[in-house]
Amino acid sequence: MADETFLSDDLLRQLMSVGEVDLLVGILAHRSASTVRRAAHYVEKSLQQNFVRQRVAIISVDGGAVEDSGSDDHSGDGQVRMSLPSKGLSSLRTIHRITAGFNGAPSPGLALRTILSSSDLLRAKACAVVSPATSSTSPEWVANLLRPAFRDSFDFVAPLYSRHKFQGLLARNLLYPMTRALFGRRIRELYSDEWAFSNRLGTFCVNEDVWHEEPVRSRPEAWMGISALTSDFRCCQVYLGEKPPPPDGAGPDLVEVLRQTVGSLFWLLETHEQAWMERKGSEVVPTFGPDHAVTAEPMEVDRVRMFEMFQTGVKELGPLLRSILSPETLESIQGIATLDQQSFRFSPELWVTMLYEFAASYHHSVINRDHLVQALVPLYRGKIYSFLTEFSEASATDMEAVSENLCLEFERQKPYLTEKWKAGVEVKS
Amino acid sequence: MALQEDNLWYKDAVIYQLHVRTFCDSNGDGIGDFVGLTQRLDYLQELGTNTIWLLPFYPSPLRDDGYDIADYTTVHPSYGTLDDFKAFLTAAHNRGLRVIIEMVMNHTSDQHPWFQEARSSQDNPKRDWYVWSDTDTKYKGVRIIFIDTELSNWSWDPVSKSYYWHRFFSHQPDLNFDNPMVFEAMWEIMKFWLDMGVDGFRLDAVPYLVEREGTSCENLPETHAIIKEVRKRLDQFYPGRMLLAEANQWPADVRAYFGDGDEFHAAFHFPLMPRMFMAVKLEDRKPIIEILDQTPPIPDNCQWCIFLRNHDELTLEMVTDVERDYMYDEYATDKTMRINLGIRRRLAPMMENDRRRIELLNGLLMSMPGTPIVYYGDEIGMGDNIYLGDRNGVRTPMQWNGGTNAGFSFADPERLYSPLISNSVYGYQVVNVDSQRRFSHSLLSWMKALIKTRNSYRVFSRGTMEFLRPSNHRVLAYIRELGNERILVVNNLSSSAQAVELDVQRYKGYIPIEMFGRNLFPRFGELPYLLTLGPYQFYWFRLRRI
Amino acid sequence: MRVTIVQGLEQAYYNLVHMIAEFLPRFVVMVVIILVGLLAAYLLGHIFRAVLRLTKLDRVSEDAGASRVLRMADLPSMTELLSRSIFWITWLGFILIGISVLGVAGLQEQISRLFRFLPEVFIAMLILFLGLVLANFLSRAALLASVNAGIRSPKIWSWSIRFVIWILAISMALDELGLARQTVLAAFSIVFGASMLGLAIAFGLGGQDLARRALERYLGNSAKEKYKEPQPL
Repeated sequence: MADETFLSDDLLRQLMSVGEVDLLVGILAHRSASTVRRAAHYVEKSLQQNFVRQRVAIISVDGGAVEDSGSDDHSGDGQVRMSLPSKGLSSLRTIHRITAGFNGAPSPGLALRTILSSSDLLRAKACAVVSPATSSTSPEWVANLLRPAFRDSFDFVAPLYSRHKFQGLLARNLLYPMTRALFGRRIRELYSDEWAFSNRLGTFCVNEDVWHEEPVRSRPEAWMGISALTSDFRCCQVYLGEKPPPPDGAGPDLVEVLRQTVGSLFWLLETHEQAWMERKGSEVVPTFGPDHAVTAEPMEVDRVRMFEMFQTGVKELGPLLRSILSPETLESIQGIATLDQQSFRFSPELWVTMLYEFAASYHHSVINRDHLVQALVPLYRGKIYSFLTEFSEASATDMEAVSENLCLEFERQKPYLTEKWKAGVEVKS
Repeated sequence: MALQEDNLWYKDAVIYQLHVRTFCDSNGDGIGDFVGLTQRLDYLQELGTNTIWLLPFYPSPLRDDGYDIADYTTVHPSYGTLDDFKAFLTAAHNRGLRVIIEMVMNHTSDQHPWFQEARSSQDNPKRDWYVWSDTDTKYKGVRIIFIDTELSNWSWDPVSKSYYWHRFFSHQPDLNFDNPMVFEAMWEIMKFWLDMGVDGFRLDAVPYLVEREGTSCENLPETHAIIKEVRKRLDQFYPGRMLLAEANQWPADVRAYFGDGDEFHAAFHFPLMPRMFMAVKLEDRKPIIEILDQTPPIPDNCQWCIFLRNHDELTLEMVTDVERDYMYDEYATDKTMRINLGIRRRLAPMMENDRRRIELLNGLLMSMPGTPIVYYGDEIGMGDNIYLGDRNGVRTPMQWNGGTNAGFSFADPERLYSPLISNSVYGYQVVNVDSQRRFSHSLLSWMKALIKTRNSYRVFSRGTMEFLRPSNHRVLAYIRELGNERILVVNNLSSSAQAVELDVQRYKGYIPIEMFGRNLFPRFGELPYLLTLGPYQFYWFRLRRI
Repeated sequence: MRVTIVQGLEQAYYNLVHMIAEFLPRFVVMVVIILVGLLAAYLLGHIFRAVLRLTKLDRVSEDAGASRVLRMADLPSMTELLSRSIFWITWLGFILIGISVLGVAGLQEQISRLFRFLPEVFIAMLILFLGLVLANFLSRAALLASVNAGIRSPKIWSWSIRFVIWILAISMALDELGLARQTVLAAFSIVFGASMLGLAIAFGLGGQDLARRALERYLGNSAKEKYKEPQPL
């Protein structure tokens, strides 16, 4: 059972009023009333259209202003009624809107924990998490996420998008291939803004004592996904549609993104050490809807600066990288850093070897872990520069082939990671 | 007990709906009659109802359970004579029971002399008393009401070689109210019964009186003009008699039939009824609240009539497709239970004979604003027979005792107008008036107590209603208020125990007194008032400030 | 006269013997204390070593960069260093106690002064160590931040921060020891103030353009395009 003491009295009172539900949708709200409103509107529309008989609730966490839009009618009881049609009812059942605030600084981990706890207490059979930041969240997205968990008994439902070949480069070049190789399941989007889960998985996660850990606080979706992959839970993917790029200037910077994603991934390798060491190869997971698609329209990206930052990073962080990487790997990287822009290539083999050495060094805490992840940033930039240069003219099919090769390289070198992981670090005494 | 003089008596009425055929057979022909009904008036008085609504008892081919009338000014011989009716009326009035009868204005039976004359030739003086056409293309697009049996609103008359208009069965041709003589003829018929002493009419199928091209042929201004004229004459010559509209429409459309207090005195609130059933199944008050929020206010001298079941199918015309599908799936899983756009089942079987749910729904019926109507047999939890044709499954003989023919008739069982309900759950051996009279905890006894409590407080019949909207959506709570009288009604619509916090700060200092046990509950204070309710439980609290 | 000399010699001999008789037990006690102290110091050092190994102090020290400094100074690891320190401090304490038992005039006062000084030495060492750790951590953080932000000459920032923290730590340690307090304070103020002034002048004069461009970027008036990272997720 969820830890009820974590929830505020006000939230608990709201949950009591709702009682039991079949479906819960959690909105990881920002302090922006209009985006929350839009997301809530889509969610409510989806629930009314697709789950008309089910008992449903929408919970907005760190709700800020979750008041209804001008056209809605407040019933004054925590429920928002849409404008009444002249005949018939707006919907068969009451759709509850719950708002949950925080004491103290909000974080995605705290928000997810609130949703999990609420889902557990409401005995929701399935729960979807959406973020208002994804402005393309449409009614179909929510329904598509919920269906596998609600009707087909899947425990974890990850989204699948169609993307431009130069979108999601971190996911394409690091996160996906690494998690696939190590955890043995081909789930592309473990670091996304929306996903769904079953009551079974939700109860499991809410009872884990990890909420004070920084990786879980910043990237709880990855932790949840990995927990599902490494335990006896059924996972699947569902195609949602095209993922639009974030608005200009939105979102955290690259350093912050890497700290959160790669940092949490390395941490998850530690906490699920046994699981990934035993896995061999990777399995396809059931996918609903069309497979993800890659589009290849021309797109302008500023690459020159990226290369400069890579070179600077390799040069200035030499002593630091010496503590992290093996001499051979460092030498290779320093070697390619001297190449000119046209001939520079960051080979998949070197990239994978380097990442695995980073992971092992993280495990051995050769230096402060946060610093270790930050040291990866310029190297990542180098890799992306190489990627953009090499595949600027590539077709969508070529891109898929390249990605698949990279994934296979990660799988091929997995024993190397295992070996480095298990080796101790020498401490002079 | 003489009838009280009160022109607004219908607001305080508790109506008992029955068909004389179903109630009690005195002469052994297997069909109920007025003499038998008269013999059972004590029962109705004992129950606490004060008004009887009689379904059509006129001479008729009985192809639509008497709504196809062949003679408006007498009684079907199966039910007795006009004198029997007069005796019944007198006996009812002596017991303080008012009587409302049916008046089918919209159509007659094709066996009615008027139609026989009208169809005899195109020149007949009564030809224009009905709606004729050489083609069946007029009034295109108008919906068919009996969709299971009729394919068109026009039928070919082989006698007069033309089409006639009928909104219901083809053997029920519509009268033509564009002809003033039709109106006058109907008024004479009404006068006939009013002079005899009936207290009111339920006007059947009023929305369809007038047709106009390019319209839905429902609720037209001309129809309202007719009703206004009827009402005007009624008030002038027969004050204190009431008109009850049968208009199966959305509340906003029914509102028009009250006019400015110069049309109908009362009208059925059709859309509320299925939503009460829906709310209990959904365990969510939303359907009830929304439909009542959509219900416009009515003139002070008017009243809604509310009901749970009646002689027709539980109509699902005034719901959305989604709602209809839900109701079918939940209440009529067997397609035999469905007819037209409705469900032909009684209350108790729909509630799966769950006493708590039956009580809850009756509690809602008796506490919501409007004049409640109890369908005969529902007060003892009678069952139904879905294998009888049409809607006859809910029109089986009244079950008086466990003896021969349930005490309904001393005729041979085979002669009864309809077979009795005789299964092991609802059979007359188990469910009957006599057995329930013996126990204070029977449904019948409970209904008596409920009606008595309701009748004790005018606030139920004439008071305002305001919803409290606690955050627990499974609880429906409202305040009825009339002058200084206040009643708090709290209903748990769900099958599990519930806790609810009511915002009654406005009534701070009031003491709630539970009305059935008369026990005091803790006083209302500043904080939300916490109540807990068992599954399907409800409370009626009288709020007193002392 | 001979008797006096003999008596004098006898008295001297008697005094000597008496002195030796008085001194010898104290000497023996001193030796015993020193030997016991040796044993206690050995045991304590051993226990301390075991405890520090359990707490993985070496890893923390490695992570903080202190181990690297120790290696550069050809010192043993942190665990070993602290264990040996404990050994020597404990034994020294016992030696001093032993010496004080001898009862040599004036020595006891010096010894007690030495004892009073020891905690300050310990605190000063702690300040230096913490300063070292902090300097290393923050300078590395600054280096990483500058490299990842694309700032030119990131090592300047890194070294500046390291230098400032070292100076601060050394000044605090010396102040704790009470050595040349006024001089140290003045020197620190001069060095620190001068560094800051120098940086300000350098930045203000030499980095005018940089400052202007930074401000322009901040206020959004720059005509040049800001560098945009491709979408990572």
